[in-house]
Amino acid sequence: MKKLAIATIALVFATTGIAQADSVLVLNSDEASYSVISRSSRTEIARHPVGREPHHLIVTPDGKEVLIGSTVTNELLGLDIKTGERRRVVKDIIDPYHLGFSPDGKWFVTAAYRLDHVDIFHADGFRLAGRIFIDGLPSHLAFDKDSKTVFVTLQQSGRLAAFDLKTQALKWSVPIGTAPAGVVMLPDDKRLLVALTGEDGIVVVDPKNGAIQGNLQTGKGAHNFWPKGDGRHYFLSNRVEGTVSLLDTDQMKVVSNVRIPGGPDCMDITLDGKELWVTQRFLRRVAVVDIEQMKVVASIPVGKSPHGVFMLRPGSTAGQGPIRAVSTSGETR
Amino acid sequence: MRDLIDIWVGAQTWIFEALVSPLLFRFGLMAWYEPGFNAVEYVMLGAIQILVIAVGMRFFERRWPLEKPGRDDRLIGVDRVYTLLNKLGVVPLAIFIVTYPVVTHIELLIRAWGYAPPSLERLLPWLGDNALASFLVYFALYDFAAYWLHRAQHAFPWWWALHSLHHSQRRMTVWTDDRNHVVDDLLITLALVLFAQVVGVQPGDYVVILMVGRLVESWSHANVDVSFGRLGSRLLVGPRFHRLHHALSTPQERHIQDHNFAPVFPIWDILFGTAIYDERNRPTGVDDPTVDADNDRGWLAQQATVFWRFARAMIPKFRRATAL
Ligand SMILES: [Zn+2]
Repeated sequence: MKKLAIATIALVFATTGIAQADSVLVLNSDEASYSVISRSSRTEIARHPVGREPHHLIVTPDGKEVLIGSTVTNELLGLDIKTGERRRVVKDIIDPYHLGFSPDGKWFVTAAYRLDHVDIFHADGFRLAGRIFIDGLPSHLAFDKDSKTVFVTLQQSGRLAAFDLKTQALKWSVPIGTAPAGVVMLPDDKRLLVALTGEDGIVVVDPKNGAIQGNLQTGKGAHNFWPKGDGRHYFLSNRVEGTVSLLDTDQMKVVSNVRIPGGPDCMDITLDGKELWVTQRFLRRVAVVDIEQMKVVASIPVGKSPHGVFMLRPGSTAGQGPIRAVSTSGETR
Repeated sequence: MRDLIDIWVGAQTWIFEALVSPLLFRFGLMAWYEPGFNAVEYVMLGAIQILVIAVGMRFFERRWPLEKPGRDDRLIGVDRVYTLLNKLGVVPLAIFIVTYPVVTHIELLIRAWGYAPPSLERLLPWLGDNALASFLVYFALYDFAAYWLHRAQHAFPWWWALHSLHHSQRRMTVWTDDRNHVVDDLLITLALVLFAQVVGVQPGDYVVILMVGRLVESWSHANVDVSFGRLGSRLLVGPRFHRLHHALSTPQERHIQDHNFAPVFPIWDILFGTAIYDERNRPTGVDDPTVDADNDRGWLAQQATVFWRFARAMIPKFRRATAL
């Protein structure tokens, strides 16, 4: 009976295209779709079209929408953060691979991975302030706390670059290691963590000048961060190793690891803080990890090469820190 | 269905993590991580195609052959080499390495103008919600482009110099489809990849289009006396239809090869007036003895002589020199 009820609900949502706060979005990056998954029943309940090759998504500063970056069609698809309903399409955002809003909500930045440029927009109306062409596959980005600087990893050239948001001028660019990807600013605003996908760990970087302050071995193909929510612990996916590490950033050590096969990539945490969801790109699945036990409790089939993952949420995000760059920064939830 | 996908991607992941991923990691090629994973799928699909040809299609050739086994059987061997080199990724990898900078350059140029593919789903919103319909529409568009490229292969003398290698085979079989000069393969690949990007074919769909398309084309070269009826032969290209395109031209039918160009869907030949349907059996090959001489050569010698043929057709000075 329960199964039938779930199936009925699933059918209703599938036909109306409206999800609820129980839903999780997963971007199928080798397709032109995103999956809607019921968190409670752990099944895909709908699949909807989106431009071409969506990779990452981001919450708007007002906390009302989540924007999906469609890289090949140069646009953002805005969905209602509660229901998942389509709200709008923002055009002329070129190759929005990775994207984020500055903490004050004034700036919107995209890393055009394929086209080798970083675009800085006035978040209000998505007006382009500056486009900076930069060699070497700009891949992920993060901001400092007072919204003055954006930090961008350059995967091909192995560098980390810092740009002044107001003037869009390059502040510094330093060699950091092989194939840097995920980057996150710690709450103290004094340490940046950068994951080195071509190596087996992360480096700690001084946001003032890019000087390397330390490093930590985590696993081969260290790739992307996600905050646990306490301002101290961070999850990190290691794509080649096939693990997710839980890091303690106070002591700068690995607390524990969980094995996640299939090239684990982006993550998000359920609103109750109990589950970590991780996309398994090769296996066309998303894994559910019980955070307390650090154990995989489910693996849900989705589309091809699932990348970004996001929990829809009820109400406003006020009090949670309004801004988060999905898959990089955002110390609170 | 999902069980099949899990087995498939499980095997793909296993092969990738055992053989490809360690190399990419070791040599600092992590930017090729996802493409490398997709390349494994390409080779796996090639192996499946070879299996389907060698077991499935060969069964029909043995059971209902059109041309009985005979003295030209030895001509088939080289086509098997072409099929293996292509389907197992040797030729495609070489082509990829050569064309990658060109394709990337053109792609970046187009995209730098702010061009975004004319996603058909925007015109026809129902298409986005119907995966099968959308796949078929993109497949048809892709085939439309391939039809016109095939016509160009016959229309330009320099291109015919290459494509004639494909037509020189007197013993057409399920192995003949891949019998092409590598430069010909390269040009067609380049054109179709760019076309797919401009139109906006999804990468996931592209793999399936390639897989299904190539299987239909292998089948259309088969030496079988099988027909799918009036309707079937107008929906999908079959052996009878495509054999007419390979027919040896005679004084009565001088331009018979200027028909039935379509790779997968005969609709293009019907629409553009190049379709013929005829049950009479004809010998295949070319009436030009210098081209027919391809049949006496192995893979390497064919590649070398046909390249020379191509160079002469390209450069007028060479053409004059040979005319004298
Ligand atoms: Zn032809």
